[in-house]
Amino acid sequence: MIKKIVEYILTFFCIITLNFFLPRLMPGDPFTFLSSDTGEVTVSYTEAQIEKYKSYYGLDLPLSEQYCRYVGNIFKGYLGYSIYYNEDVLVIIEKRAYWTVTLVVFSLIISSTLGTFLGSLSAWYRDKLFDRTVFMFMVMFSEIPAFLIGLLLLFIGSAWLGWFPLSGGTRPFAVFPSVIYKSADLMHHAAMPLLALVLTRFGNFYLLSRNSMLTVLSKDYMRTAKAKGLGKHRIIFGHALRNAVIPVITRAFLSLGTVFGGAVLVENVFNYPGLGKLMREAVMVRDYVLIQGIFIFVATAVLSMNLIADILTRKLDPRTN
Amino acid sequence: MQCNAASDLFTMPSRLGQYIDKPALKIENLSVSYELGSCSVTALDDISISLSKNMSLGIAGESGSGKTTLAMAVMGLLNQSTSAHGKICFNDINLQLLSEKQRSLYRWSKIAIVFQNSLDVLNPVMSVHEQIYECLIHHTKLTSRQAAEKVGLLLESVGMESAHGKYFPHQLSGGMRQRILLAMALSCEPQVLIVDEPTNALDVLSKNDIVNLISKVHKEKEFALIVISHELNTLLKLTSRLAVMYKGRILEEGPTKDVFSNPLHIYTRGLINSSPDINPYRDMWGIPGETELPVNSGCSFFPRCSQAQNTCRITTPSLESILPDRKVACNRKGIVTILKGSGISKQFGLNGKFVHACKNCSIEIRSGETAVLIGESGSGKTTLAKILSGVLDSTTGEILFDEEKIIKNSATNRKNGLQLIFQDPYSSINENFTVEQAIKEPLDILGQDSPAKKTKHLIEVIRAVQLPWDEDFRRRKCHTMSGGQRQRIAIARALIMEPKVLIADEISSMLDPSTQANILRLLKGLQNQTGFAMLYVTHDLPVAQKIADRIYVMHDGEIIEHADAQKIFTNPVHGYTKKLVAQGLIRSEN
Repeated sequence: MIKKIVEYILTFFCIITLNFFLPRLMPGDPFTFLSSDTGEVTVSYTEAQIEKYKSYYGLDLPLSEQYCRYVGNIFKGYLGYSIYYNEDVLVIIEKRAYWTVTLVVFSLIISSTLGTFLGSLSAWYRDKLFDRTVFMFMVMFSEIPAFLIGLLLLFIGSAWLGWFPLSGGTRPFAVFPSVIYKSADLMHHAAMPLLALVLTRFGNFYLLSRNSMLTVLSKDYMRTAKAKGLGKHRIIFGHALRNAVIPVITRAFLSLGTVFGGAVLVENVFNYPGLGKLMREAVMVRDYVLIQGIFIFVATAVLSMNLIADILTRKLDPRTN
Repeated sequence: MQCNAASDLFTMPSRLGQYIDKPALKIENLSVSYELGSCSVTALDDISISLSKNMSLGIAGESGSGKTTLAMAVMGLLNQSTSAHGKICFNDINLQLLSEKQRSLYRWSKIAIVFQNSLDVLNPVMSVHEQIYECLIHHTKLTSRQAAEKVGLLLESVGMESAHGKYFPHQLSGGMRQRILLAMALSCEPQVLIVDEPTNALDVLSKNDIVNLISKVHKEKEFALIVISHELNTLLKLTSRLAVMYKGRILEEGPTKDVFSNPLHIYTRGLINSSPDINPYRDMWGIPGETELPVNSGCSFFPRCSQAQNTCRITTPSLESILPDRKVACNRKGIVTILKGSGISKQFGLNGKFVHACKNCSIEIRSGETAVLIGESGSGKTTLAKILSGVLDSTTGEILFDEEKIIKNSATNRKNGLQLIFQDPYSSINENFTVEQAIKEPLDILGQDSPAKKTKHLIEVIRAVQLPWDEDFRRRKCHTMSGGQRQRIAIARALIMEPKVLIADEISSMLDPSTQANILRLLKGLQNQTGFAMLYVTHDLPVAQKIADRIYVMHDGEIIEHADAQKIFTNPVHGYTKKLVAQGLIRSEN
């Protein structure tokens, strides 16, 4: 276990180091960007102003010193101050993270539960019509990228049928009489992006759990369980699922990174006010501090999920100890 | 749903000897077949078994003989694609008629199984305790606390500690897993216990431990026990009765000890000959041929049987009593006695006196077996061999070959008869003959086959005795050959007549040890392939120990003792035999 933790710490350091160097290697400069915005009002900085800002953000210091400061700040919990939004990065991320985290977590829960359920059923009825039909659809779905499904849903659900809002996370400027109304509105807005994410992940979980269940069903211990005359529920849930679900759970946690990647695209399609949209905005305006902040937030989230997956696997499968 | 509980083959009188125990498990005419592509394959064919409390039945057979299918059928765990016909009755209730849910009530609580030991046989994510505990909770009325306590007791009863309950399957050794499986099967105190390959893949010590353990619990709990195994030694130790299965049919059935000491079916004998643990001295020989796809009609063992007749191709034999309490499914009523000499005496006149070379000798050789006639020089072995083959007339006595009386050379002058190989290859083969002439001579005399057929046959036998078969070699004169080569030629000459009995008179005594070993292994190999019976005459005890199924000991013209080879070597009765065994066998002593 100690070895694992050391591994995670090392990984974390690699990530923050990359995170430090990446924006510095990217072409462009926030100051030249700010000073040459394609607006009617051209704001330009003088050399002196740029120098002032550079020294304010510590960009004039040698790289090694910048790096030390950067690492120190991370451990203090300070991710910097956004150049574009003029606000503490952590505060911005915090505001936006709720949307994305909710989206990601719910989509994972729904897709893994539904996928496991359908996958297990499919395995149980192997090679029957049900299995074949579902299998074909799932293989198809699992290969379509998230933004395409998102666009499709946007066309059908929002533009064509008009059942769901075209964009946004909540109705702007609306005043809700109670929490119920508010949550209803939130759910209404989240439905389409959530569905898009669920659909992209669903096939994956379905295929995995079907496969896992098929392997488990053919194992000798399933025959043992049946020979013991146990009830059907005990056999399916106590013996089969308990084995089959291990890889599914691990995958659910491990796929957080992928789902987050999907969320970035889907949020931009639906104009959903989460981290994905924020990231795009930050990249557009070369807000390095914000980009770095988001990266660190996401990296930490993914890493901790991997750690949880590791721990859970150990808990669920005694063989890994 | 009632089963006919008439007295049956396995229903033995109880210990009181007063009444017949009602069978706990009774299988009647059970047939199971499964679909394989477009054709249906029969896995079990008309199996009837009855087993009462306290009894133990062993089921032997090669892999694929249907042993495990039978166990699965009893447990009701056959695949959905299989179809089963016949009755499986537990205490007069036909389990085959029950719904899946009703049948589950019988599983484990009434009929339990110890599955073949494999890594996956226990659920890898559940502790040992939980896996035994769930049986108790499901089938008994014990409270959770009582059940937990009982798990501990069960573990202790199979020689483990209750603390082992918190182990997971991957933390157990093979032997421990076997114990856990047994504890689990015994948890609900079943009335019928099936044990599938309990000693498979265990080391010798664990094997003995497990066998002793099963035997102990069987005595204590008095359930009906079925042991499925291909390890005959395990069956011998655990079971009182034995059924031998082949291709889904029972070929032989009887008390385990009797079946092993005197197998009635060629297949059973083959199984015994393949098991070093039954006779540790003898070389192992597997049953020739593979279990092929099912034979549609006739005897299922027909393609591999060495005494098959044309009728075996057509008639399917049923399991019938041949001896008291012994049953065999064979059209020829079990292994036939191919050569039988009774009351053979021979007197020679020598200087006006009569010398008794053979005195009232009786000998029986069964199809496919190797009998060894052992005795010192001058004991009358060769005389007896010559009389048996019809070369020499006897003063009194009768010799039957395949139930026909032998008169003069009536058994040697035909194919599928009897052939003799002599001690001295230098004088038994005409030196001026070519190899081809020497071997082909019997066929030439017989004059039945066309020249092409003869040559084809010639090449077959030359190859069988592992000599070069090119034309150059065949044209060479016999006097250019070594002793070993000449003996091979003599064997080839005997084999070309496709004999059913081969009498080999001291054939290896003039050969050096390496040639002797080669010739003996060659002969045994050929015997295993073609299935002839062999009477091997020798004075060499260690050789006899290697090859003999049955031994006749001859002394002063009399057969003083004959028995199963193992018995002669381990437990000789006659004083002379004792002496012979004590002095003749070289044992490694430090």
